[in-house]
Amino acid sequence: MMPPAFEYYAPTGVDEVIDLLEKYGDDAKILAGGQSLIPLLKSRITAIPYLISLSGIKDLSYITESSNATRIGAMTVDSDLEYSDTIRKRYPILMDALSKLADPLVRNMGTVGGNISHGDPSNDLPAVMLALKATFVARGRGGNRNIKARDFFIDTFTTALEHDEVLTEISIPVWKEHSGGSYVKFEKGTWNFSVAGSAVQLRLENGAVVEAGIAITSMGPKAMYIPEAEDYLLGKKFHKSVISEAADIVVEKSQPSPDTYGSVEYKKNILKRITMEALENAFRRSGGM
Amino acid sequence: MISVDLSEKMVTGKGNFVDDINLPGMLHLAFVRSPYPRARIKSIKGGITSRDIDMKMASVGEGASAGFEYLEHPVLAKEYVGYVGQPVAAVYSENAYEAEDLVDTVGVDYEPLTAIVDPEKAMSAEPMYPGLKSNILADRYLGEDFQVDAPVVIEGHFVNHRIATDPIEPRGIVAAYDGKRLTVWISTQSVHTIKQGFCEVMKLSPDAVRVIQTDTGGAFGLKGGFYPEYVVAAWLAMKEGRPVKWIETRSEHLLASRPGRGVVGRMKLYANRQGRILGIKGDVIVDSGAFAGGSGEFSSRFIAMQITGPYEINNARIHALSVLTNKVPQGPYRGAGRPEAAFFMERMVDRLADELHMDPVDVRMINATREPFVSPTGLTVEASKPFLEQAVKAMDYNGHRKKGNVGFGWFVLVPATMPGETARILVENRGIKVWLGGTAHGQRHDLFVKSILADELGVDPEIVEWQKGDTDQLKEGVGAWGSRSAMMGGSALVEAARKLREQVEKKYGKYSVARLLDGKWDSYEYFHYDKPYTSLGANLITVSTDRYGRVKVDECISYYDLGKVLNMDNATGQNAGGCAEGIGQTLYEGLMFDQNGQMITSSIADAGVVKATMVPRYRLILHSSESTLPSKAKGLGEAPTIGTPVALSRAIEVATGLRITDTPINPEYLISAVREP
Repeated sequence: MMPPAFEYYAPTGVDEVIDLLEKYGDDAKILAGGQSLIPLLKSRITAIPYLISLSGIKDLSYITESSNATRIGAMTVDSDLEYSDTIRKRYPILMDALSKLADPLVRNMGTVGGNISHGDPSNDLPAVMLALKATFVARGRGGNRNIKARDFFIDTFTTALEHDEVLTEISIPVWKEHSGGSYVKFEKGTWNFSVAGSAVQLRLENGAVVEAGIAITSMGPKAMYIPEAEDYLLGKKFHKSVISEAADIVVEKSQPSPDTYGSVEYKKNILKRITMEALENAFRRSGGM
Repeated sequence: MISVDLSEKMVTGKGNFVDDINLPGMLHLAFVRSPYPRARIKSIKGGITSRDIDMKMASVGEGASAGFEYLEHPVLAKEYVGYVGQPVAAVYSENAYEAEDLVDTVGVDYEPLTAIVDPEKAMSAEPMYPGLKSNILADRYLGEDFQVDAPVVIEGHFVNHRIATDPIEPRGIVAAYDGKRLTVWISTQSVHTIKQGFCEVMKLSPDAVRVIQTDTGGAFGLKGGFYPEYVVAAWLAMKEGRPVKWIETRSEHLLASRPGRGVVGRMKLYANRQGRILGIKGDVIVDSGAFAGGSGEFSSRFIAMQITGPYEINNARIHALSVLTNKVPQGPYRGAGRPEAAFFMERMVDRLADELHMDPVDVRMINATREPFVSPTGLTVEASKPFLEQAVKAMDYNGHRKKGNVGFGWFVLVPATMPGETARILVENRGIKVWLGGTAHGQRHDLFVKSILADELGVDPEIVEWQKGDTDQLKEGVGAWGSRSAMMGGSALVEAARKLREQVEKKYGKYSVARLLDGKWDSYEYFHYDKPYTSLGANLITVSTDRYGRVKVDECISYYDLGKVLNMDNATGQNAGGCAEGIGQTLYEGLMFDQNGQMITSSIADAGVVKATMVPRYRLILHSSESTLPSKAKGLGEAPTIGTPVALSRAIEVATGLRITDTPINPEYLISAVREP
């Protein structure tokens, strides 16, 4: 459990990070909170000759609120979000995810940007960002570029970030009145990767869905949003048959693989149940039941 | 003298574990391990190999055995490998990181062979090694064959899958050699076992080996044994004349440390319609792993002996089998055969109750014995019926039964009493130091040591210091395992204290604490004991389940006959930890293999470990009857690992309507009891 040798850089500005990324190419990788990367190095699943830590950059940790968005610096640690009044007020779905994201020790070190840009289909925040329809800011040599969460996740451990780009900010839109969401995670044991996770964000008018975001964790090669289920919900009010049917669509679109966490059949069974629970919570939190 | 509270020391990072030892010029050792469950080794390039260390492991510690030389585990693999993780070669460096880098520089050319994975199929598979007639390592029948005319016959097939012992601190050693003497610092349950291991495997004279125990962060049976990595560390220290450290990684632990359980039970129970058990037959099949020796070889017989449990069963015939498979050799894990025996029997008794539509406790009552009883398999049981009557009342079984999903299980605890234990008391400079032959590894023996000396010598417990194991300080000793320490270690200490008292009386005519502390005294005792000393225990568990089929343990009550409780903190701590491990075995923990013999649970998250959120509050109710031993204590350590899985399995049966036959219980099976939403 000792990592192979690497060189460690901790520059104080994003531009220097980009310089180093350009210089070392594929031999370099960004180290954010290290809660995923360090275990991979220690178990020698991967070797990275040049680690570029973002910990020396002061201005990447913040939570600021405006009337139409909440901006989160990529190096904000998970526990800062967990204890943020803004997040608690605006995004119950995110609070659900944070309270179940690994354990408090990991949340004190792990960063929001790291959780997202690692591209791990088992990480919890990607599905939440997909459901909330967040936008990510990537900085490269040419300046900033906005990437929609829904265009960001390409494949397992692969995102839309170019090699010499750094994820600097997560911008979550403010969901207007009568909206609410929920993230339900099913773990084998606790403080573990999930068997499945389901993120649902809804906005209602007169009790009927006018906007929906639904995405799932650990149920395919990447965090996946399910537009078919979102479309199905439009115009619908809460009813047990509605949430059951929406969950069926989610299950149909999921792509789980069998592993030590369970068979495909079991994972789909769990996904159905947690998606119904998340939908029920979302309807309740947006005043629709 | 200031008494340092051990718990405070440990939780504030002031412990001195083996990995905290850093000696000048120290080398770090790392191992090249087999990636194949079964293969011929065609060639090895680089590293320390069996060409350098051509030795075989002696079998020492709990479950030690002689014989089977041909199947003895080589220190480093020679010609073939029998399991994934088997040490093949070793590399070293002054830097621990570099040592791991060097692992990749050793080239091993293997010719993979088809692995033998399933112990039941292994019995009829082609023999693993040339010259063997079959893969059956041990084959014994216990009890006479019988025929009964029984209106009720129930058959059951049960599996307790292998589980990692998973102490917080994995195995580790530091070895140093001064040209004359080998000194090792080690995380262990017995410094004497370790010393014996070095003497036997490396042919060293006892005078040339000193073993010192470091703070030991859990052991659970694993660290009672002696392992190949220790030999390589000592060999290298002697060859290079420099200290050598080896610390096991968690990955190595899961792959190559000896796991517990791994036992199949095939039972057939005969009864009449009133619930009286007329006989039991069955096979106990231990998944021994790839080499002979130790628990993997002996435990099938130990399990078979205990099958009849606290019941008066006059006919029993059990076939005890230990079977070679291409897995790391099985080893003792807290309970070590006792939980398996209770699981197989208690599951059958619950089935009988269901078959006859009787309350499970009523069936147990009918079959309990009013008089002391020796079963056909050789298990000694005291009168169990009075115990059961009191247990049912004290735990309020009937009250719990009305309220919810309750499971009840009981058992005979067979502590590893033999051959006794040693203790030494040294009084000097107005302080008292104590060594026990079994070295505590997290159980806080210091607490009962203080209690005993306060009682026997009338001294202030504050001045009594429990010492970690050191073969230079205590010439002989056995080990801390098998629920024996309060019974055997405690009795040795009582006897040593009484001898000390006599010495003081002899010198001064009368004993007083002042006279004791004014002098220098040294008292050593080997308390010999060569009989079993069993006791009874029971557990009651209630559970609830959620819409995902998840089980929550609501209440866990233990009703144990502990004899005289030497220290209540010791007892409640042992109970809580053991219940947590029982819950772990039942619901979460299992080492699983694919059909090719590769372990698929290679991370601690996959292998399962119990966390604080998964356990209930525990209650320990004492059934007190002092033992006839000098310490008046009875066994405890393993009791909760025996009673918890049986009571919990039953509670889950009641909650879900499912039949529980295997541990850990598959969540996919549990969810099948919950209707689709």
